[in-house]
Amino acid sequence: MKWSFGFQRRKRELQEEIDAHLQMAIADRVARGETEESARQAAEREFGNIPLVQDVTRDMWGQASLEQLGRDVRYALRQLRKSPGFTITATAMLAVAICANSTVFSWIDGTMLRPIPGARDTSELVSLQRGERTFSPTPPFSYLDYRDLREQNHTFAGILAYHHDWITLTGGAQPERVYIANVSANYFDVLGIKPMLGRFFLPDEESRPAIPSVVLGYSLWKTRYAADPAIVGKAIEIARHPVTVIGVAPEGVTGAMPGLREDLWVTLDPLGTEVWRMTHRSGGAVWLNVIGRLRPGVSRGQAAQDLDTVMRHIVAAYPNDHLGDNRITLDPLWRSPFGANGYIAATLPILLAFAAVVLLLTCANVATLTLVRFVSRRRELAIRQSLGANRMQLVRQMVMEGAVLSIVAGAVALVLTSWTSKTFAWFFPANSNPLILNGSMDHKVVIGIAVSSLLVGMLCGVLPAWRSSHAPAVEVLKAESASISGGSRNRKLLSALVVAQIALSLPLLLCSGLFLRTLRNLASANPGFEQDHILTASVGANIVGYSHDEEHVIRHKILDRVSALPGVKVATLTDWIPMTLSHKGVDAYPEGYVPHPHESLQVYDAEVAARYFESLHIPILEGREFTPEDDEKAPRVLIVDQTAARRYWPGQDPLGKRLRVWGSLFTVVGVAKNSTHIFVNESPEPMVYMSLFQAGYETIVQVETEGNPADLAPAVENTIHEIDPRLPVFDVRPMRESTQMASSLAVIQSVLAGMFALTGLILAVTGIYGVVAYRTQMRTHEIGIRVALGASRVDVLRLVLLQGLWLTAIGLALGLAFALGLTRIIVRLLYGIGAHDPVTVVSVVMILGGMSLLACYLPAHRAMRRNPVTAIREL
Amino acid sequence: MGEKDQYKNRIELLQGTLDMLILQTLQWGPQHGYGIVQALRTRSGDVLQVETGSLYPALHRLERQRWVQSEWKQSESRQRARYYRITAKGKKQLASDLGRWERIVEAIGSVMYVKPEESES
Repeated sequence: MKWSFGFQRRKRELQEEIDAHLQMAIADRVARGETEESARQAAEREFGNIPLVQDVTRDMWGQASLEQLGRDVRYALRQLRKSPGFTITATAMLAVAICANSTVFSWIDGTMLRPIPGARDTSELVSLQRGERTFSPTPPFSYLDYRDLREQNHTFAGILAYHHDWITLTGGAQPERVYIANVSANYFDVLGIKPMLGRFFLPDEESRPAIPSVVLGYSLWKTRYAADPAIVGKAIEIARHPVTVIGVAPEGVTGAMPGLREDLWVTLDPLGTEVWRMTHRSGGAVWLNVIGRLRPGVSRGQAAQDLDTVMRHIVAAYPNDHLGDNRITLDPLWRSPFGANGYIAATLPILLAFAAVVLLLTCANVATLTLVRFVSRRRELAIRQSLGANRMQLVRQMVMEGAVLSIVAGAVALVLTSWTSKTFAWFFPANSNPLILNGSMDHKVVIGIAVSSLLVGMLCGVLPAWRSSHAPAVEVLKAESASISGGSRNRKLLSALVVAQIALSLPLLLCSGLFLRTLRNLASANPGFEQDHILTASVGANIVGYSHDEEHVIRHKILDRVSALPGVKVATLTDWIPMTLSHKGVDAYPEGYVPHPHESLQVYDAEVAARYFESLHIPILEGREFTPEDDEKAPRVLIVDQTAARRYWPGQDPLGKRLRVWGSLFTVVGVAKNSTHIFVNESPEPMVYMSLFQAGYETIVQVETEGNPADLAPAVENTIHEIDPRLPVFDVRPMRESTQMASSLAVIQSVLAGMFALTGLILAVTGIYGVVAYRTQMRTHEIGIRVALGASRVDVLRLVLLQGLWLTAIGLALGLAFALGLTRIIVRLLYGIGAHDPVTVVSVVMILGGMSLLACYLPAHRAMRRNPVTAIREL
Repeated sequence: MGEKDQYKNRIELLQGTLDMLILQTLQWGPQHGYGIVQALRTRSGDVLQVETGSLYPALHRLERQRWVQSEWKQSESRQRARYYRITAKGKKQLASDLGRWERIVEAIGSVMYVKPEESES
């Protein structure tokens, strides 16, 4: 180490300097006539103790010496070993608090900070949204619109488009359901990903390539194709169509949508069968999600303006395809509404802020303990000071104790976090999406832990150390019990720390109370449909390569056979399950309706079979439900919900009105009662239901059962397999389980906030207990005298309780002000409860106040019961 | 005040004085440690005998405070030695030390040479 060389050099130079001194002294004496030998002796005698001079001089070099650092560390360790109780408690508390922060941060790191694994510089990437900003929007662009934006903009280095869905890999021993993405040819280029094997797509392969080609994801290549190094050029079968493997993506690449895993990639129209989708600009041809990479130096605002200009030209050229709102908004991927980050960005940063409060609280607690320790070590410190240690040295040694604690706590937190970072996935129930949400433990998290440790070390070490080093040595040495309680300076600091702990824990308690009640409200809210006796099962009829007609036959057979099963009340089909974070939407143009400027004409949609509303107990308010007769040959019909009816035909009878969807006119035959689409706390959006046999694509069997729906799962699955063993059946689960997805983030909020609040409560209560108990103990002598002079036990109780009461009251008042300000940031996450809900506020204040009082009462009680004689004799 | 505190005060006085004496010596030109000891002894008529145990820590402390700078040079007797030189900052410090010293001397003087009648009034 360079630094330690510097120290050795300085040591050598000092030796040389002293040698020179002696040489000159000897030379002078010899010049005056002394002999060489006696001159040397005299000079050395005159100089004094050489090692001592060296030692004292070296002390002047200051703290920049390794030796000294080592000494300080050893001293700190010795002191900490002397009080194992404090050391273990403080380290454990700090480790937990740091771990709370690093865990939440690792979740943010694994999701928001790494939105597209494997992509180059994701800060340059933005997701494009057209029209009204919503959560979990449907894919917003048609291929032609996308191509125009890609070719006519001036602000993007590249723009990619993709659409993904489930499909079945056939041709092997076992068919396998995988998540496939149709992507633009520049997909991997824009993301900045290089192939691990083979190549990615060429520009002329975007639609109808000469040979249909596919790029495999790393894990699919590994599991299904046994990591075959010669896979490139081989043909595989996707939904019974042969396609050629041209490349394999590197490990960890999972596609462009944050939080979802794509298994393999083909181009937009690999078989040439989707011509309609590639040549239209509206209706079913609006199917692409789009992500762009900004040119260096271009801001999001500039890019949005640029794209808006291009979009305005497109709208002017094809007005009928672009009714409604067409403004373009750009989002960085950490909060992109496409994929998981839109939800996560609203929750995790707030939880991180809570964790930071917990850390502060813990620091205050440990600082209190440290201060008390230093006060009880005043005599030792004073003796060291009078023996020549300067103030800086004392402070350094005390700070070192804090540093040792925080480093150990950081190391423990690091180990804990490597496990807790992976617990994020636990919060998401089984669902129909290939979710890959989890925390990640990388250098950013490690740096975060190091920074927290540093902060902790500063707060828990420096503050008490600086305060304690102020004590004038002589007074301390002289003073006995009278002033040992630490002098007024330390008393004030201790009080401030206790007040801070109460004030910080109150907002945590309040927020967690509000979150818990939100969760309860969500759980007990009526979503407008039956959840309890419903079983759903997805049938992959559309993904194994059946023709349209074959699919229809299969659907009818399924309906007939499942209806006949014992225990089944009603069987129906749908292509969408509410409250699963999935969302379908179409542009619906009501005949004769003039939209407001920028009004979005997109509505939620679902394709359902006869008896759907009956099975879910959704009342039909007007008209009729679908019947088996609403099939392909019959006139197109649809059912709207109340919101749609009110929006498009206010004050009129919606029955018989017509809507243009996907280019055809649909007649309204019924009005259904509103029910929840995605979240219980969503604002109602218009919804239309169409007949599955007229417009459906996917097939989900939905059964209302007499008993527990889970009991019927094997029977339903078997029945479908009896119709055709090759039919993939998946996501068979009770509705109750599926809809848990809608509250998963509320669960994360309340679980974490609850744990943080509990930690805060424990810390605050033990904090005030510790300080009051300690002070009372220090005043044992005084209290003994008071009692001896005639003070009653009640007086003693009041004396001790009163100081605790004061601290609690000030802490509660400050905390309440802080909390009421803070709850504003969580308003958006609450449901069915105000941010200043009086019941919650009062109960939280009562809990905290009550616990603090109890914490003060215990030492007061003990003091009251002391025998005054022993109390006076003590010390 | 006990004995200990008196002792402490004396040390402080001497320490401050030693710094001032060293800086004053260096005013006359760069000098090595041995030279400083000799110069102080000669100039004070053999009254001031500086301990090396105080001198070297003081020199290194003054250097850390950037009141002096040091460099290795050959002495007249061809002995390699570390020469200290006063810096601009050191000169400022010397001026302020001197001012304080003069005030102390004056204050002590006015106490010591006071006339008896005045002290009684």
